[in-house]
Amino acid sequence: MSDDSLIIYEEEIERIDSLLTKLLKGAEAKCALLVDKDGHLITRQGFTHSLDTTALAALLAGSFASTKEIARLVGEMEFSVLFHQGKKDHIHMSLVGERSILAVIFDDRTTIGMVRLYAKETADELAKIFTGMTDRSQRGRAEVSADFAATAGNKLDDIFKD
Amino acid sequence: MVSINYATREVSCKIVYYGPGLSGKTTNLQYVHQKVPPSTKGKLISLATDADRTLYFDFLPINIGAINGFAAKFQLYTVPGQVYYNATRKLVLRGVDGLVFVADSQPDKMDENIESLNNLKENLAEYGYDLDEIPIVIQYNKQDLPAVLSPDDLRPVLNRTGWPEFKASATEGFGVFDTLKCILKLVLDKAKTGGVSPSQRSVPSVSAPVQPVPTAVESQPEVRMPAARETVVPHPYEEKPAQPVREPVLETVGQGAVAESTESDGDEYPKATAEANLENPAPQPSPVADIRPVYRPFPGNTREDEEQMSRPSPGTRASTEYVSMSDQIRKPRAEQTAASAGQSDRDKPYAVPESPRMAPPLKAETARKKRSFFKRLFGLK
Repeated sequence: MSDDSLIIYEEEIERIDSLLTKLLKGAEAKCALLVDKDGHLITRQGFTHSLDTTALAALLAGSFASTKEIARLVGEMEFSVLFHQGKKDHIHMSLVGERSILAVIFDDRTTIGMVRLYAKETADELAKIFTGMTDRSQRGRAEVSADFAATAGNKLDDIFKD
Repeated sequence: MVSINYATREVSCKIVYYGPGLSGKTTNLQYVHQKVPPSTKGKLISLATDADRTLYFDFLPINIGAINGFAAKFQLYTVPGQVYYNATRKLVLRGVDGLVFVADSQPDKMDENIESLNNLKENLAEYGYDLDEIPIVIQYNKQDLPAVLSPDDLRPVLNRTGWPEFKASATEGFGVFDTLKCILKLVLDKAKTGGVSPSQRSVPSVSAPVQPVPTAVESQPEVRMPAARETVVPHPYEEKPAQPVREPVLETVGQGAVAESTESDGDEYPKATAEANLENPAPQPSPVADIRPVYRPFPGNTREDEEQMSRPSPGTRASTEYVSMSDQIRKPRAEQTAASAGQSDRDKPYAVPESPRMAPPLKAETARKKRSFFKRLFGLK
């Protein structure tokens, strides 16, 4: 693995998930997604079954990335909070630590203020978990098994047949 | 960067198709999307203009299923090829694990290929990546067209490093899967071996320490910045011993103005002063910090009156007047009251230091209303 890979272990995901559940209950939001800035989905909670979360993660990360460029153009380092308002559903995105984004999808049963309040609290706590994760991945680098690439290679040949 | 999630047992990699405009990056993805089994692919998302030119990126997730207990997921992205969209193109490269460079084999597109390759190098460098460290495959696309350059012609220009290369036609489909398979294997190999040393892939940190915003109190030394000018022409006000916090700011500006204007022509006095003030605008401390509630029972005297009384010499009159005007423009009314109150000693006993009975701005507003009422009543000017 290259050194800056994002490696997430089960116990961390459990902690993150419990934080997200707490956020959803507190803010009465529909669902919460934690997304890497590169566009990888880290975890999700709430009513996400009807959502294409993979695509959503990529687009949210893209949206955040372009907003960051806009921020730079107007002389800001980064906009830490992003909010999209729709007719029924709204999305609140906030920065978590250095490399993740917390996206909360909510509707009119709650208010932006509540979501914002809980999202901020959760983001702070998540940032602590991520700091711990970075420390750990620097100490011991996890690797997928050695024949992973070879096995995957065979599988690729099966799938990508003209 | 490869993302490994032990909770969901997933390995996720990001592959980016790069290349000049209209070289066939999106077509590559569309072909893959058409041909792979439905269980493998996700939705192809295209952020494109009305004319079907990629605006931000195309995105195709591919899940090749479980391998040794881990689901291997690949996210295929394309970039907008047009030179104009470099800002968004660069964003897509963030966290890239593998690259496919789609070159246009037509002879007249050679310059665009070279330009795009150089642009790729630059954009990667901005993220701290090196083109030699990232798995990259080059695809000579549009080989189905007549009169195109062969790989032998293209290689010396585009592929001096000896990257794996493939002839392809994205519209007809040959070479597309070969390219994809090759890059996926390279990425997984790299993921296994670890590849690069950390120093080579040190991404510039996104959360660089932000300069702390100076508060009103902290910024005081900076406010006194034109110290050299103070020594050139000492201002009469400097002799005053205990000045309130706000006053040195204004006077310093005034002094700078005096220094400059005396060095230049004396006739253009106010003009030069104005220019000097534009060049050295006084840093604005936060308006809230300085507001002090002031009780003024008979506010007949305006600030101008006080200045008139305390003005020491007619020589500095123009500049002092100017400063007081600019001061009025810049500062809210409440601050002006506070500043002018602090200016003369006789107001000091009336200053309420803490716990005002009314919120400061309200108090100032009340004072202003009272003053204008008395003015009107007694016909004071």
